[in-house]
Amino acid sequence: MYPPRLPLAILRTVLPRAEREEIVADLIAEYREIAMAHGERNARAWIWRQALGTARALVPWALWRESTAFEPRANAYRPGGPMLKHFITDARYALRRLRARPTYALLSVLTLALGIGGTAAVYAIARPVLFDPLPYRNEKEVASFWMSFSWNEQEFTWLRGRFPGFQSVAMYNHRDLNLQGTGNETRLLSGVASSAELFDILGTKPALGNTFKTGDDVVGADPVAILSYGLWREMGGEQSIIGSRLTLNGIPRTVIGVMPRGFWFPTPEVRVWVPMQINPNGRNGSYALVGLVQPGKNPDHMEPDVDQLVSMLKGQFQYPVQWDKTKNAKVQSIHEGFVGPMRPALVATMAAMVLVLIIACVNVAALMLGQVESRASELAVRAALGANRNRLTQPLIVEALIIGVAAAAVGAGLAVAGFRVLTSALPLGAWGEAATFDWTLFVAALALSVVSALLVVMIPSASLWRSSAAGGLQNMLSRLRTGGVRGGGAMRTERTLVVIEMTVAMLIASSATLLVRSVANMYAIDPGIDTHNVAVIDASGTPTVPLAERNTTIEQAVAALKEMPGVENAAAAMRLPLRGNGNSTGISVVGRDSVQATTTYFRIGTLDYFSTMGIKLVSGRVFDATDQPGGTISVVINSALAKTYFPGENPIGRMIAGMYNVPQQIIGVVDDVAEGTLTAAPAPARYYLWSQVLGGFGTGVTFVVRAKRGTSDVAVLNEARQTLARAAPGFGIRNTTTMSRVMDQAVGPARNVMSLLTALSVLALVLGAVGIYGVMAHFATRRKRDWAIRVALGLSGTRVVGRVLSQGAVLVVIGVVVGAGATLLVSRLLSTFLFGVSGTDPVAFLGATAALLVTGMIASFIPARRAGKVDPALVLREEA
Amino acid sequence: MSASSMVPLGVLEEQILVAVIRTRDAAFGMSVRREIKRVTGRDLAIGAVYATLDRLEAKGAVKSRRVTSDGASRRSFAVTRAGLRALAETQAMRERLWKGVDLKALQTATA
Repeated sequence: MYPPRLPLAILRTVLPRAEREEIVADLIAEYREIAMAHGERNARAWIWRQALGTARALVPWALWRESTAFEPRANAYRPGGPMLKHFITDARYALRRLRARPTYALLSVLTLALGIGGTAAVYAIARPVLFDPLPYRNEKEVASFWMSFSWNEQEFTWLRGRFPGFQSVAMYNHRDLNLQGTGNETRLLSGVASSAELFDILGTKPALGNTFKTGDDVVGADPVAILSYGLWREMGGEQSIIGSRLTLNGIPRTVIGVMPRGFWFPTPEVRVWVPMQINPNGRNGSYALVGLVQPGKNPDHMEPDVDQLVSMLKGQFQYPVQWDKTKNAKVQSIHEGFVGPMRPALVATMAAMVLVLIIACVNVAALMLGQVESRASELAVRAALGANRNRLTQPLIVEALIIGVAAAAVGAGLAVAGFRVLTSALPLGAWGEAATFDWTLFVAALALSVVSALLVVMIPSASLWRSSAAGGLQNMLSRLRTGGVRGGGAMRTERTLVVIEMTVAMLIASSATLLVRSVANMYAIDPGIDTHNVAVIDASGTPTVPLAERNTTIEQAVAALKEMPGVENAAAAMRLPLRGNGNSTGISVVGRDSVQATTTYFRIGTLDYFSTMGIKLVSGRVFDATDQPGGTISVVINSALAKTYFPGENPIGRMIAGMYNVPQQIIGVVDDVAEGTLTAAPAPARYYLWSQVLGGFGTGVTFVVRAKRGTSDVAVLNEARQTLARAAPGFGIRNTTTMSRVMDQAVGPARNVMSLLTALSVLALVLGAVGIYGVMAHFATRRKRDWAIRVALGLSGTRVVGRVLSQGAVLVVIGVVVGAGATLLVSRLLSTFLFGVSGTDPVAFLGATAALLVTGMIASFIPARRAGKVDPALVLREEA
Repeated sequence: MSASSMVPLGVLEEQILVAVIRTRDAAFGMSVRREIKRVTGRDLAIGAVYATLDRLEAKGAVKSRRVTSDGASRRSFAVTRAGLRALAETQAMRERLWKGVDLKALQTATA
């Protein structure tokens, strides 16, 4: 019958050292008695009450004993109060010391706070993306398909019910839906249209009502809608919403369900889900697929089933080379599919942040080490008076904890600021909206700071232990006498710390330089358009309004936009360049059978589309007033199409077929434009005139407005918004942006990761410089006497400066070499962001090396100069 | 510290002092705790007992010394003269306060 260990351990920790054994022995004895009389259960409860009650009494007890320095007479030979007492003593002492050395205190706290704040902010962003599970009950069994948003209804209808290896598969795409309110105001909701299977596949039950049922997705079915929890709350949060009607895009829909709080699919900003009306012959490839695998299958290992699916596709459909669904076929778990693309960006940022935190810790450790060195005499006296190792290191731990807690407070503030900066800077999209700033961040900051404080204190403690073990007092005292000339050990630790810092700084700086080069390469690509000073307005019309009427409105809106002051030109288009693949259709050249029916991008624009976008004409002409509806329609092709389909021929005047069942004549050739992605090779594309083909697909339209020189696109944007509201009633504005931002988005995550890493590498360089400065200053001071003797014997001041500088340079060079090696190892992580630059790019490495060398030299120059100015007479007298 | 500056003793201080007197020769922290438990039913945490004993010792109401019992060295407490006087004054103060208050009569009156 022995009491449980944990309460006894608590008691042993908190009771005064002199008394703890006798008290614990008594408690054990009493525990046995209670266990005999009332059973072990009661005894256990009793011992827990004792332990917790004692712990609760500890704080006032310790505070009182600390403040009165009371020591019971019985314990005169074994002094020491309850555990906390020493901490309080040490804390007061540490606070006094920190106040007396404000530079050291400030530097340590700020250094650590920068590391902690940044790391905590990144953690807050990364948590929902990398760590939290997706809000689907079947998450583990749901897979997403390759070629996202490229599938069409025809393929889906044919495959439905016989996807090999899947219980069922749903298709969906994004729809922006105009919600008509009670008055005249409309608001645009981000929505999803899907086939009926979607919610059964995800397995999430609605909070209210039902989800889609079979048959909801056929043409002519009753229109229904499912709302997100957030939208439902905004609309009043009444249960009676089920069965009520909402007008979305002009169609009244019955609300059949409300999803639970925290549910999102496929991105958090989607607020309403409606069933598609599947057209079995639809060939507009803009859908994505998710499927529920058959029981026992792993969505990440579906290769045999995918192979079977591919051979089915091959047998049924013919694909052009660029949009071949039979190539690179892959399904993966929905988690991978949704979260995977984000991961490299986050891991890279996270890693860089942790490295910065390490630099910060190492810096503080080096600073503390210097402090310990300068306290050698005090520590020696303490040791002589009987302080043991723990008693010597505990003040250090307490000091580090104080620095840590102060850094946590400052760091939490930095974390809040950093979180805001990061959510807007990182390409997180909807994930950024999912990342919410909450208390976990503060807990994370505090935990990080305590951990880093403990990391920090390990190094000076180790050095203290080592020196006290290897000769203890004599060693310390002798070091004191010689002015530290012999004490090489601690300096070695400090030097190692500097090398570590330099290594890490090199790692971050060279990674950042790689990304800078890569992003510069991307911006150097000519997208074929003039992205400067173009305002972009995405709008969508009401589907119930007849197409002809909508087109008239668009033409009138474009005319109104052109009339605006400060506007050079304006146009409307179906789809802008640089906004990803999609919208391609078959082409064939009339009078030539040898060319297989393949597809090209097709784009539809109004009259001045080319001049507004700054697309250059190569030969022939662009659209003009002579191109009227009816009869033959005009087509403008790009150079890539001309090269592919008319090699060595003049394409002007040739007839093509496909897309529309009317004769189509090529009237001109324009420069290649990055219609899909920025880095893709030029792809064949053809352009139609809006008025000749009666508009694009669906209800979406994008207005582009080129501002005159001297007028900013953003200023034009505001006016354009008002003009459109007036001139294009029935059109909801979905998004407003500028062409240069579209370009930024096309450059993608690399740009944001780059800016982040550049900021971090500046931080790393600054912290590294502080580290070098601290160590070199300490080095110079310690050897002051040494220098003084040499100067007295005739060494020139310049030589002294040179010696100190070369010491610093050696550290930097070692760090750079090791860091360069480390970068080579991790550059694979960055490879997804790299474009036109290899992971071993010499320019990046040289750039980072130069930056580090310069920083290192500047940081060691200040202490070096001070050492060079040493006056031997003064120094030798002072230390005699 | 003079005895009068300790008066009145806190309830816990008073109980612990009386318990130290009652346990006489074996006045260790634990036996003081058990005595209070036995008589009043109050199950104090050992830490609270020691914290109060420390405070009383600092005030001069008890003194502690090392005794060896069952082969182990233990801290044993005894009430000092000042402690006794403080107890006496506390008791006297209480009696003055209670004088003329007949609880029994009040209880029957309100019943």
